[in-house]
Amino acid sequence: MNVLGIETSCDETAAAVVSEGRLVRSSVVSSQIDLHARFGGVVPEIAGRAHVELLMPAVEEAMARAGIERPDAVAVTYGPGLVGSLLVGLSAAKGLAMAWRVPFVGVNHLEAHLFAPVIEEPGLTWPLVVLLVSGGHTLLVKATAPGRYRLLGQTLDDAAGEAFDKVARYLGLGYPGGPAIDLVAKEGDSSAFSFPRAMLDEGYDFSFSGLKTSVVRTVERHPSASTPDVAASFQEAVVDVLLTKAARAVRAVGARGLCLGGGVAANSLLRRRAPEAVDVPTYLPSMTMCTDNAAMVAAAGTFRLAHDGPSPLSLAVDPNLFLDFSEPAG
Amino acid sequence: MLLGIETAAGLVGVALADADRPIAGAWLLGDRRHAEALAPAIDHVLSQAGVTLGDVDAIAVDVGPGLFTGLRVGVATAQGLAEGLGIGIVEVTSVEVLAREAYGCGWKGPVAAVVDARRGEVFVARCAGERTRVEPPSRCSPSALAEELASVPGTLVVGTGAQRYAAVFAGAGLEVGSIAEPSPRVLVEIAAGRLGTGAAPVPPAAVRPVYLREADARINWVQR
Ligand SMILES: [Zn+2]
Repeated sequence: MNVLGIETSCDETAAAVVSEGRLVRSSVVSSQIDLHARFGGVVPEIAGRAHVELLMPAVEEAMARAGIERPDAVAVTYGPGLVGSLLVGLSAAKGLAMAWRVPFVGVNHLEAHLFAPVIEEPGLTWPLVVLLVSGGHTLLVKATAPGRYRLLGQTLDDAAGEAFDKVARYLGLGYPGGPAIDLVAKEGDSSAFSFPRAMLDEGYDFSFSGLKTSVVRTVERHPSASTPDVAASFQEAVVDVLLTKAARAVRAVGARGLCLGGGVAANSLLRRRAPEAVDVPTYLPSMTMCTDNAAMVAAAGTFRLAHDGPSPLSLAVDPNLFLDFSEPAG
Repeated sequence: MLLGIETAAGLVGVALADADRPIAGAWLLGDRRHAEALAPAIDHVLSQAGVTLGDVDAIAVDVGPGLFTGLRVGVATAQGLAEGLGIGIVEVTSVEVLAREAYGCGWKGPVAAVVDARRGEVFVARCAGERTRVEPPSRCSPSALAEELASVPGTLVVGTGAQRYAAVFAGAGLEVGSIAEPSPRVLVEIAAGRLGTGAAPVPPAAVRPVYLREADARINWVQR
């Protein structure tokens, strides 16, 4: 069973073919980073326009590399994300599925991220705690099995990756902020400044907007502060909060593994610290599987198709789509 | 067989043409729900006409100017269909459809096809007569356009922009027609006519909406 996955929820235009829900036959990602860099963040209208130009070439390349004429189903992200971007992928996916006379299935982008480890790790031990951190999302999820999730906590304001972008922009380090801060932080002293760790001892929710404000205030007060020191101290604070809460979640729900996902999971400090933070196995997806891609959409789509059947052609995008957290707590 | 898709304005429309004759169609005022309504409408029109997508030789799509979100739904759907079928796309502009419909209704004089561009502006293209080419579209303010058109006596203004700013155009002594949204039936007629004269459809990846406005460069710090 070959499933064509399509992902256009934010600023990556992606298409991929996955066999049997886990064998990646092809995965094509056309990044729009260059188009958004000068604005320091994702510009929705620019993203929507770029998806229209980049999607068909990505589909053609994914199909060609997989060496197939026609998949057995088409899976597409229908939320959450930018409405104008989601519409491009959803509309094209419907057209492709109709033309090929194959089932069409809508996929929750957050669930797709949870399928990245399913693709890459044959020996996953469930239940898992998944820390999903990117420019758009910051979630702690308990996953009992594929398709069975419970939300433990999430950000109450900025996403973790958004905090990286905003602080990088403030420090003049460019966009995207994650890799920029990761790089300069290597030259800095992470104990130079003590930035706040919001709600460190309370539950599993996150808050990063105060941290960003604190960075700005600190630099205003110490104009001569070394940028690498500020970046390293900021990164230390983010990683500290993320892993303290993730480790607490692992203990509380009796998880047998901790899994990272999302663009921030590419952060080198987070990857180094995660295995030290918990005494269960940690699963660190490859960089390409951390960031948005269509292979994870195809994998989640394969599962959803088997589980729920195809989606109707009247499926709408849902920019605020949530995961179906049917799994009980504890 | 030619399948036409019209989503450049408030309408979600589908039409089928056999040779140069429209044979089936459906439309609804989508109320911004283009993405939900379009694919089922295509399915419906095909099945009512007893046609399958395998019978379709080309897809015609309205590439604008118009409402950006609607345009992208129509163009992306057309791209997906054409890509999957291994066929090409005929790009038709919204202003061509509007002008052609005005002449189809029997108008003899000049026509200005005016599409609402929101933010107090309109997209416009003029056509001097039935046998004349429709000029390339541009963007302007309704009042400046009304003033300019008033110098060409007997101009009929049609389209969503003509309806929205009817008072402005009527005040300048222009005739405001009742045609508002581009019609999917007229769209397939134009596309069929073009294919009939030997024009080649374009590959799906090459289709581009006609925006006529720079992207609004506002960052959206997505909350998810
Ligand atoms: Zn994502």
